[in-house]
Amino acid sequence: MRTLLRGVLRPLRAFRSRPWPAADVPLRATSHGTGLLYPEHIPTSPLQKALLAAGSAGMALYDPYRHDMVAVLGETTGCRTLKVLRDQMRRDPEGAQILQERPRISLSTLDLGKLRSLPEGSLGREYLRFLDVNRVSPDTRAPTRFVDSEELAYVIQRYREVHDMLHTLLGMPTNILGEIVVKWFEAVQTGLPMCILSALFGPIQLSAQNLQVLVSKLIPWAVQNARRAPCVLNLYYERRWEQPLKALRQELSITEPPMHVQGPA
Amino acid sequence: MAAPRSWVLWSFCCRGSSRVLLGCRLPGLRSSWPRGPLGARPLSQEKRATETHFGFETVSEEEKGGKVYQVFESVAKKYDVMNDMMSLGIHRIWKDLLLWKMRPFPGTQLLDVAGGTGDIAFRFLNYVQAQHQRKEKRQLRAQQNLSWEEIAKKYQNEEDSLDGSHVMVCDINKEMLKIGKQKARARGYKAGLAWVVGDAEELPFDDDKFDVYTIAFGIRNVTHIDQGFPGGTVVESPPADAGDTGSRSGPGGSHMPRSGWAREPWPLSLRVRSLCSAAGEATAALQEAHRVLKPGGRFLCLEFSQVNNPLVSRLYDVYSFQVIPVLGEVIAGDWKSYQYLVESIRQFPSQEEFKEMIEDAGFQKVTYENLTSGIVAIHSGFKL
Repeated sequence: MRTLLRGVLRPLRAFRSRPWPAADVPLRATSHGTGLLYPEHIPTSPLQKALLAAGSAGMALYDPYRHDMVAVLGETTGCRTLKVLRDQMRRDPEGAQILQERPRISLSTLDLGKLRSLPEGSLGREYLRFLDVNRVSPDTRAPTRFVDSEELAYVIQRYREVHDMLHTLLGMPTNILGEIVVKWFEAVQTGLPMCILSALFGPIQLSAQNLQVLVSKLIPWAVQNARRAPCVLNLYYERRWEQPLKALRQELSITEPPMHVQGPA
Repeated sequence: MAAPRSWVLWSFCCRGSSRVLLGCRLPGLRSSWPRGPLGARPLSQEKRATETHFGFETVSEEEKGGKVYQVFESVAKKYDVMNDMMSLGIHRIWKDLLLWKMRPFPGTQLLDVAGGTGDIAFRFLNYVQAQHQRKEKRQLRAQQNLSWEEIAKKYQNEEDSLDGSHVMVCDINKEMLKIGKQKARARGYKAGLAWVVGDAEELPFDDDKFDVYTIAFGIRNVTHIDQGFPGGTVVESPPADAGDTGSRSGPGGSHMPRSGWAREPWPLSLRVRSLCSAAGEATAALQEAHRVLKPGGRFLCLEFSQVNNPLVSRLYDVYSFQVIPVLGEVIAGDWKSYQYLVESIRQFPSQEEFKEMIEDAGFQKVTYENLTSGIVAIHSGFKL
């Protein structure tokens, strides 16, 4: 872009001030990886985080299909809560192991053939059935970008991947009713502001009938179970594929849902 | 075979200005390039010549084109929405001002480069149509009756409401052109409009073809805005047959050979394209603009520029770096493209520097006008 002569004269132009961005504005000078805490990291200032939180909350309400907005909301508002969650994980032996080994649930790490061969009723088989019936994949989770700590970025990533497990554990489909129930469970368990906001504002779009069912039966059930159960992030799911789902539910003191929620057509 | 090459280069160098830029794209060529007679150019600057900016990143020139293509491919669908959000609708006024400065007369042939989604093209068509209607009204008011041919044409819907004006929208990015075509169909623009895929550095048009050349918010994305000067040379890597390099896809691959030089194979199968010849081969955007314009033609460039007011500058910086990537993420789901956008604005030369670059390309009577305290500037030059 610059001519040769301009390149030579550039040092002489040091006094011709160019309005470079102010010092407090994050420069992308480190975009090649030296300032980034993890590969997908985008450093953001507090103002940007605030704007992102507000914008993503608004956009998520306006267009419920923007799952990436819900994810961004979680990342920008969850700083304090993620630290609490991480400390909770450290205190639990299984959780500490997860933090150390950093397992990921994705199509590349799952052995689908092995999961399919597991007996009916086992966690692995039911999880696979959940993925097939609802036509979802564990790879659709967006990577974490706005969390300013590598370990906390993993914690929130793990939380997202465990979200599908929760659907299986609670027996909830991926339609909006099922999602709200799972969000209530997560809100009580994790305390993430994003979960709390989704749990409170998600039902706005429901029909009156669904809302009535939700409030009278599903939410009390979800809250009760969430209070009783230990933190679901502390379970090393990758080692529990063979465990029967019923046994796992008993271990977590999760009862059967009060009614069957119809899955997506 | 260094001798014939260096003679050719030397003869051209003597004719032209003292500034010679060897934009060698082939890394292998550098070692065999005769350096002595062409002036003392240190190796580090030669190496730097193949690197350029992508926002605040430094990338090689080959990479930049690809990266910019990806940016616009991903933002194409939300491009117009984002423009409105980011500039709070002011970009419409800027583009209107560009048209008013242009004041196209009936029969203008306009080339809108990097005009993907067609904003300038549609405004041009509106302007010309409005002019035509005003002319008709004036005629009727002056009790000048329309001729029988004109009335017959009106009834047959054959009337040329544009009086022969035509706009060619050229963009390197197919996604942007697709969006533009959809918009045209939706708004009912049919006549006087053509869409062409082409690279601003190598336009697929003949010389001396257009009355006005515009490039609105596109030139900062071009890898080489002004490489080479009259009297300089640029070495192009083979193959020279049109359509082999992805960027040179003209309509139906009809790339016209511009001069005999391009056709003659060198011993080492190099193509040397002379910038001095009347046919004016050029590999850079400003040179190409000069080439395709008719004598008397006008070059107009609407681009983000340097703000001259310190208070506005500070607010603008905060807005650019804090708000715009957030808007990009929330509305378009794409932080990085909009980060690139604001950084590329900072990397663009100032109004005066750009004015010099335009003058170097051969344009005369180059002026610029700041809009919104210099956030945007319209540069104008004439090929005389």
